[in-house]
Amino acid sequence: MIRASSATVHFPGTRMVMGAVCVLAAWQGLAAATTGALLVAGPLEVINHIAENAGLYARAVGVTLSSAAWGFLLGNLAAVVLAALAILRPRAQGVISGLALLTFCLPLVATGPILRVVFGPGEGPQITLAALAVYYTTYISVLVGLRAVPATWLDLVTSYGRGRGTALWRVQAYAALPYLVSGLQIAAPAAILGALVGEFTGAERGLGVLTLQAMRDLDVTATWAIASLAAVLSIMLHAGIGWIANRVLNEEPPLILAPPVARGKPNYSRSGAATGALTALIALSLWWGIAEISQLSSFFFKRPDDVWVFLVSSDTAAQNRAELTASGLETARALLPGYFAGLGAGAGLAILLTLVPGLSSVAMPIAIALRAAPIVTTAPLLVLVVGRGAVGSAVLVAVMVFFPVLIACLHGLSRAPGQVLDVMDSYAAGRWRTLIYARLPAMLPAFFGAARMTVPAAVLAVTVVEWLATGRGLGALMALSASLSNYGMLWSVTLVVAVSAVAGYAAVARLERAVLSVFASEQVQ
Amino acid sequence: MTQSFSVSRRRFLGATLAGAGAAALLPSAKLYAQTSIRMQLSWLHSVQFAGSYIAQDDGFWSDQGLDVALDAGGPNAPVEPPVVAGTALVGISAADYTAAAVENGAPFKILAVAMQKNPFVITSLPENPVNEPGDLEGKRIGMALANAPVLEALATLNDFDASAVEVVPTQYSAAPLLAGEVDCLLSWETDLPVAMAVQGVESQTMLMADFGYAVHSQTYIATEAAIAERRNEIVALLRGEAQGWDLYRADTAAAARRTVDRFPDQGLDLAVQELQAERQVPLMFSELTDAHGFGWFTDETVASNIETLALLGRKITPELWDRSILEEVHGA
Amino acid sequence: MAPDRAPPPDIVCRALDKRFGDVEVLAPFDVTFEAGKTTALVGPSGCGKSTLLRLIAGLDTADSGELSIGGQTADAVRGAGGLAIAFQDASLLPWRTARGNVALAQRLARQPVDRVAIDALLNRVGLTGFLDTRPGALSGGMRQRAAIARCLITRPRLLLLDEPFGAVDELTRRQLGLELPPLWRSEGTTTVMVTHSVTEAIFLSDRILVLSPRPARVLEDVEVRLGHPRASEMMEQAEFIDAFKTVTAALERGEAQRQNALAAQ
Repeated sequence: MIRASSATVHFPGTRMVMGAVCVLAAWQGLAAATTGALLVAGPLEVINHIAENAGLYARAVGVTLSSAAWGFLLGNLAAVVLAALAILRPRAQGVISGLALLTFCLPLVATGPILRVVFGPGEGPQITLAALAVYYTTYISVLVGLRAVPATWLDLVTSYGRGRGTALWRVQAYAALPYLVSGLQIAAPAAILGALVGEFTGAERGLGVLTLQAMRDLDVTATWAIASLAAVLSIMLHAGIGWIANRVLNEEPPLILAPPVARGKPNYSRSGAATGALTALIALSLWWGIAEISQLSSFFFKRPDDVWVFLVSSDTAAQNRAELTASGLETARALLPGYFAGLGAGAGLAILLTLVPGLSSVAMPIAIALRAAPIVTTAPLLVLVVGRGAVGSAVLVAVMVFFPVLIACLHGLSRAPGQVLDVMDSYAAGRWRTLIYARLPAMLPAFFGAARMTVPAAVLAVTVVEWLATGRGLGALMALSASLSNYGMLWSVTLVVAVSAVAGYAAVARLERAVLSVFASEQVQ
Repeated sequence: MTQSFSVSRRRFLGATLAGAGAAALLPSAKLYAQTSIRMQLSWLHSVQFAGSYIAQDDGFWSDQGLDVALDAGGPNAPVEPPVVAGTALVGISAADYTAAAVENGAPFKILAVAMQKNPFVITSLPENPVNEPGDLEGKRIGMALANAPVLEALATLNDFDASAVEVVPTQYSAAPLLAGEVDCLLSWETDLPVAMAVQGVESQTMLMADFGYAVHSQTYIATEAAIAERRNEIVALLRGEAQGWDLYRADTAAAARRTVDRFPDQGLDLAVQELQAERQVPLMFSELTDAHGFGWFTDETVASNIETLALLGRKITPELWDRSILEEVHGA
Repeated sequence: MAPDRAPPPDIVCRALDKRFGDVEVLAPFDVTFEAGKTTALVGPSGCGKSTLLRLIAGLDTADSGELSIGGQTADAVRGAGGLAIAFQDASLLPWRTARGNVALAQRLARQPVDRVAIDALLNRVGLTGFLDTRPGALSGGMRQRAAIARCLITRPRLLLLDEPFGAVDELTRRQLGLELPPLWRSEGTTTVMVTHSVTEAIFLSDRILVLSPRPARVLEDVEVRLGHPRASEMMEQAEFIDAFKTVTAALERGEAQRQNALAAQ
């Protein structure tokens, strides 16, 4: 094999460093150009500031990392257990995945205060939000890994008269390890984000607390310092997990793109509608059950029937619905353009980098930094720079969507099936025609996989930025409802946001399946 | 509250002893031996709650047999749920938020008012100042859209045309004002203008409370059940608060320094805390509190609150306020 | 069939040298492939057969030496659409139908898409009824038929086959070996094929080059004296059996040399 179709995207080390230096220089220039506007602090100021307050930042990083680490551990454990359950009980897989997705789509703005009341003071909400932020991506990764085993291996286990449990433990667990590592790499920055948002629910210390204080004091240097620290932390964790994995595993972690379609035999899988209905039923029972068992006051912990009354049967229901709809439309006006812009920018840059590989040394550091800095620290900064209103929200959504799509598309572009690229070459097809006829179509499965997985991220981004920065739409409505004790509205918005995110996910998944059946039929057998 | 404290540590100690003595005279104080309670603050730890820290550090609560934990708030930590759930005995809220919570079924009472004057201000730059409500006409104001009713209430109270003010949606930031995107900002007297001043930007503030906007802020709330069942603890808590805040008033700079030292991990800036502490004083203390004691309110201030809150769309009655605890605290 | 097509080229390799890192794959390698003939390359795994094929196709470049295709460079031939290659895995684009894959070759070779010719060719290679089927729904043998059709539609002067039937079962393989070669033979095409199967090499080609283990040298140059078109019965002829013995003996000789070299280290 001479032209190895590389499974991972490589960036030359030294060029990367050069690129990073250029980016830092540009950043410093921007800071110098905007002095006095209380907008941008340059890298030199930032480093200086961190050095001067090294003790403060070290303690804050320690606190946040500790919450993130516990959440990371618990969330990933839960993910592995859920994935194993889904494999052992294929009939339940659709429902387990549905519930897992629904929980993942609950907006942080709404879950934070509830968790604070449930846990009381301490690190409970930080750890829980970190766990909630990580478990879904790991669940998907492990599930894909457990299924990425040749059927003959499983037949081998069966031929010795052993059951599913043995197959899971002896064969699938090992095969899934590289996938688990991939999941963990995505999970590390997410855990930090979760811990930071958790700290907004009334923590005593941590990077999230410092962020709020810096914003309140209009301390631009500190704000940029915290965002930079959080970004560096995320990158280091991502790289660290990769490094450990490299020493332990023989394989490189794969990029998780395969769709979470139930691959069970036809008699195993229910129809989509039946699974959806069953999932909704179980979700409602869980909701109601948790409320009743925990005996939480219905003043702030609304039951399903409270939401029904609020939205449907009360005197003000029509008014409530109108308010919810107006905010929802406002959010959609930021979310949809941002989401599509992110998809376009990610795919576009991937194509550009494929055509002009030299650009990657400048583009990649920016992309990585943008993605790694937790959204709660970058949201206020980005809005300062790009402006308030729908545009600001849209830009942030685009940033959240952009990076996973970029990586997935680079991966897809580099792997046309078999020796198709050689066939192209044998006709001297050139870059453009190879791109159009082979690479782009081969990219589509990766693109749609990323598009699906980024739906919850986009919803998270838009609600967080509306809450923390622009003060519009559903994110702001949730924050306002909580401060005015309008918990009927808060739970209604939460429900609408979670269900819309799941619906968006399902819609993209449907589109993806249609695309895959044409462009990568082997994945949807 | 007759003592007027000065700075020295020794005098603090004396005050502590005096407080302890006073508590010992009350028979009820002996009934509870170090009862643990929690108070839910409305924001992150800062000099905004310095009186509470003083009460805690100087033993104003422990002397009465109370072990008080102060739970920090935050942007995603509403005060009302932990108070309703009983996690916190008392919470620090504001009349408008409490009114809304009561409308939504929470059984709250306002027991004391730390901020006699609402801290809302219109912040502008000296070269283009907003000195009185009428100046707002024709100006662009930056504020969260959720605060639109506040502007409308101010317009009604002062007879200017709210529709002649252009609202630009902004969140907490001075940048739009400095960039000239807006002429003024709706903010708190104690946050944005303070941060701007420390950053070297001079600003002009118009306190809305001086123009009829009467909404009690930093109010102490508890549920009716808690007031009925744990009255003594609440009285002791508020007594400690009153003592703490009186010491605060005597030396705001010392209070700011104590706050910064007490919370080294909060990233508090001493200069900001000092200035904020200074600017809180005229909002928290008035002839009324001088005459009756910390946190006091009257039927008249309640009536003007109800009037302003009505403009904000809140229909409430004077029953939302309950002064009996405060009366016990100040021995009225 | 267009009359303006240039005659099939010969391929001349002079002192070709190719290494991958420390591994010397071709060390000065000389060979000439005759115009219009089918030459098979056989040799042990990893000996450099495929590398040589890729050098001819211009998919890789030699470290030194000369390679001329009818007096032209590989790039020039590729650019003119005069070359086609087929791999062990059919390497069809999964999102295009059989017809679409064949049409793409014409497009890439900058030829007008000739739907009539495409359909005719697909029918001739035995895909009647599957013209609008995507590769995922075709059997392995059918995919190879489509891949060969894709090669032939541009009427290449030079056809390179890298174990084109390696991935299909024995029966299908023999069937393809009988049905497909006449299609390119009738066009007058210079063909170079790599195969692991001695039988297939003899059956399909005019000449067999047996290569030594790495770095590749020509151990034996065997002329196949069988007529065209080939038929199953020919496998029982003395010429076939002689060729089989010669090639097998050369392969064994090469293996013995490799063992000796290892022992000497």
